[in-house]
Amino acid sequence: MQISFERIRQMVIKEFIQVLRDKRMKAIVFVVPVLQTLVFGFAVTTDVSSIPTAVMDLDRSYESRELVRRFTASGYFLIKALPGSPAEVQEVLDRSEVTVVLQINRGFSSDLKRGIRTAVQVIADGTESNTATVALDYTTRIIQKYSLDIAGQSARTSARIDVRQRAWYNPELKSKNYNVPGVIAMVIMLTSLLLTSMAVVREREIGTMEQLMVTPLRPLELILGKTIPFALIGFFDMVLITALGVLIFSIPINGPLWLLPLSTAIYLLSVLGIGLFISTIAMTQQQALMASFLFYMPAILLSGFMFPIENMPILFQYLTYANPLRYFLVIIRGIFLKGNGFNILWPQLSALLILGAVVITLSSIRFRKRLS
Amino acid sequence: MDQGSRDQTQDNIAVRVDGLVRTFGDFIAVDHINLNVRAGEIFGFLGPNGAGKSTTIKMLCGLLMPTSGNGNVGGYDIITQSEEIKQNIGYMSQRFSLYDDLTVEENINFFSGIYSVPDNRKQARKEWVLNMAGLREDRSTPTRTLPGGFKQRLALGCAILHEPRILFLDEPTSGVDPISRRNFWDMISDMARSGTTVFVTTHYMDEADYCDRLALIYRGKIIADGTPAELRKDFMTRDVLEIEAEPLMTALDVLEKQGIEAAIFGSLLHAIVENASQAIPLIRSTLTGSNIVVHRVDKIVASLEDVFVTLIETS
Amino acid sequence: MKLLRIKAIAKKEIIQVRRDPLSLAMAFIMPVLLLVLFGYAITLDVNNLTTIVYDADRSSISRELIAELTSSGYFTIVRNAEREKEIDDYLDAGTARVAVSIPSDFSRVIRTEGVAQLQIIVDGSDSNTATIALGYLAALTEIANQRLAGARSALLIEPRVRVWYNPELKSRNFIIPGLIAVIMMVIAALLTSLTFAREWERGTMEQLIATPVQPSELVLGKLIPYFLIGFTDMVITVLMAVFLFEVPLKGNVFILGVVSSVFLFGALGLGIVISIVAKSQLVASQIAMVATFLPAFLLSGFMFAISNMPLPLQLFSRLIPARYFVSVLKGIFLKGNPIRLLVVDAIFLLIFAVIVVAVANKKLNKYIE
Repeated sequence: MQISFERIRQMVIKEFIQVLRDKRMKAIVFVVPVLQTLVFGFAVTTDVSSIPTAVMDLDRSYESRELVRRFTASGYFLIKALPGSPAEVQEVLDRSEVTVVLQINRGFSSDLKRGIRTAVQVIADGTESNTATVALDYTTRIIQKYSLDIAGQSARTSARIDVRQRAWYNPELKSKNYNVPGVIAMVIMLTSLLLTSMAVVREREIGTMEQLMVTPLRPLELILGKTIPFALIGFFDMVLITALGVLIFSIPINGPLWLLPLSTAIYLLSVLGIGLFISTIAMTQQQALMASFLFYMPAILLSGFMFPIENMPILFQYLTYANPLRYFLVIIRGIFLKGNGFNILWPQLSALLILGAVVITLSSIRFRKRLS
Repeated sequence: MDQGSRDQTQDNIAVRVDGLVRTFGDFIAVDHINLNVRAGEIFGFLGPNGAGKSTTIKMLCGLLMPTSGNGNVGGYDIITQSEEIKQNIGYMSQRFSLYDDLTVEENINFFSGIYSVPDNRKQARKEWVLNMAGLREDRSTPTRTLPGGFKQRLALGCAILHEPRILFLDEPTSGVDPISRRNFWDMISDMARSGTTVFVTTHYMDEADYCDRLALIYRGKIIADGTPAELRKDFMTRDVLEIEAEPLMTALDVLEKQGIEAAIFGSLLHAIVENASQAIPLIRSTLTGSNIVVHRVDKIVASLEDVFVTLIETS
Repeated sequence: MKLLRIKAIAKKEIIQVRRDPLSLAMAFIMPVLLLVLFGYAITLDVNNLTTIVYDADRSSISRELIAELTSSGYFTIVRNAEREKEIDDYLDAGTARVAVSIPSDFSRVIRTEGVAQLQIIVDGSDSNTATIALGYLAALTEIANQRLAGARSALLIEPRVRVWYNPELKSRNFIIPGLIAVIMMVIAALLTSLTFAREWERGTMEQLIATPVQPSELVLGKLIPYFLIGFTDMVITVLMAVFLFEVPLKGNVFILGVVSSVFLFGALGLGIVISIVAKSQLVASQIAMVATFLPAFLLSGFMFAISNMPLPLQLFSRLIPARYFVSVLKGIFLKGNPIRLLVVDAIFLLIFAVIVVAVANKKLNKYIE
């Protein structure tokens, strides 16, 4: 049972040559992580700002204009339309040109001046429920503040609670700080997983697998030869995205840097293990692609990457414990944003390690069986 | 029949190639070759791997653009009329290129449709191919499970469903057992006899004798062409000796130092000499004099392989 | 263009698809899986915020405040801290996402009509949750303040809120219609992006291009079976959306079918272009992921509002067919929009489909290099 490092080395080299020989593949290994980082950093934001708004001001008084001014000044609302009638309001909402409509009726200012309670109509497009919820929240607050301000100092003479709020780790509450470190996890999962499963199956499909089996190559060497190149690519992607994150998005790295490659390595155990497993059930590259994707989607969605786990139904929360991505995300975000070190992250690291070891062992055993 | 092809058959030339060149970057795969293939003949294009055979045949079938030069297949220009060529030829690619996940019958049906075999001929042609390939009982077998020889015949059948006048076969006998190879060539002869022109590439020298005419290609250039008899005649003036001696390599060295043309053929040496009766004793003594054990030195009939090897050595 | 040849290609492709039941099964499982994930598991609603409370005051007023926190349903108190330092530990470890710290003089200040300080710390790393948490807390504080101020502070301006199309603001209704676009894009990409590349790798492509078959016949012939699968997926998805997840379908089903078909054609066509250009299945799969799935998922407005994105990305999203389809889907499902309002988006989809199929034809030349 001697393992030949030379044979492993040859396999790794051959794999690299095959995969990277295609110029497009070289570009892809580089471009895919960059694109994803840029898109996730810039596009995926649940920060709400510039909410398209329509204003129908039928009062046209100083007060109504002041209210509207406060809306625009908040930075959250962007006025896109000025409908003049209910029909136009209908049109503008049906066309999805705006998410919020603010309607100030005639008599607004005169009511206020007389100290009479008056109403302002707010219509929200519920199809964008996320934006709408936040929009309504802001709307209510802006109106409330205006209301209080108009009522004058009288409200101030009684006791009140003043809130001092701070956000830790990501004080400006920028989405990108949350998203970009997570992209590392996502890209590695996508690239290394897909490449591993497809590269192995490709040999089977083309028929060169039989060729390999006739050589002195041992199953373990084959496994290593097929997974090491993609692990290296995964590492490369991690470095690339981290560099992008720091240079373009100014993501802080508050935690120990050495923990990053270590945790990536442990994470890769799981990813490659799953890739291997898929290669044992797929006979064609088509099947490998679909199976990889079938795994990838739930892994991403049920990982806490974009959607917090605590808000999921209990059943799904339990499922996430089997998801390596879940632990890796906590680790990554901990290192980047929270300055967490080994002392805090060891539970996740251990869980990831155990998970990875189990997955890759089981997959290797199955792989071996399939070879014979 | 349009003007172009009528002219061709008046000359009786089915495939004409003029100064054809194909380069891949710096590498010259096909280096100014000229060919004339007569209608109804079996034309063999022989050469070792990498000599340029596949590249040439692909240019003739309209699959690759020549770098320079021109050619005519069935009267159609290979550069400007590749689509017309494809409608009038049959092509069998090197990898047989059948759909492994389809059954025998499904493959036939597919190529029938692709070649637009008329409805009233479809069934007849299908039965003909099944018969020819010996697969009448196996029409529902997945192609994947067929042995090599049957796949080869099926691929041939699929290439001629539409009864083309010209057939291009790229290494059709690669990796197939010798008996199947023989049968295959029998089929090709039958086809040629009924008027089909067959253009075949192969690296098996012993298949040369099945062809009406040959061209030998080496490193992109044609180094000889003619009928098998003509090619052998060129060397009739000289004799071929077969030498069994040990150690082989030393014997080769010794002979070459004496200025005798010799080459290794398997575990034997072939030497080309002006006169066998004079050369045989000379060679015996030279070799024995160098402490080489000589088992036999005989005159043999020159094979095309001998011809070819000699040509290569001298070029 | 010969119908006979198209039929031959389509028939062959159908046979091959049928002989790969694993892929076929996965093609039908995919939409179901995605719907279940997005319909049941994923929610953008934020509640169950883990909170640590440090009450240095321990008065009835402070306890009342904390009680309001819990009864709102948004906050789950995981720890009543005994020392302020615990806040650091809990937030660092992620055991709590929100910390509320009530100073020891809180009730005293309130009773003397002063302005009391309430300290709130949120874990900002998940900025979305943090923002929403802060919003909830601000609202709760306002309510508390109004109670303190008594009847005098009844608001002069009352916002009357109506929510259209999705009155209960169910995030499911928001997500699922757009999800159909993502599902179809993914299926199209996964099924077609490998088809030509596979033939190149196996050598059958070389055989094909030596025959009279035309590029347009190859493209159309291959589109047909995958179109059937994609359309079936769409029907499954719509049925599940309407009957399982009770997403309203206010508009015209027939129009939905027509526009979906146009989109499907474009999506399949895109997959085919990738397949033709890539020539290797490995390369094709990577390109497909980036060119089809990611834009549909991130930049189509399906989940992340386009208006929130920086301008360059907003402009870029105009090139993504999924964007127009998502708009149509939301319009048909939730708004019951008539053709008049859908026609512009539908035309964009048509243009895309035509362009893509034309590109496929052009790129598929019958030469090896």
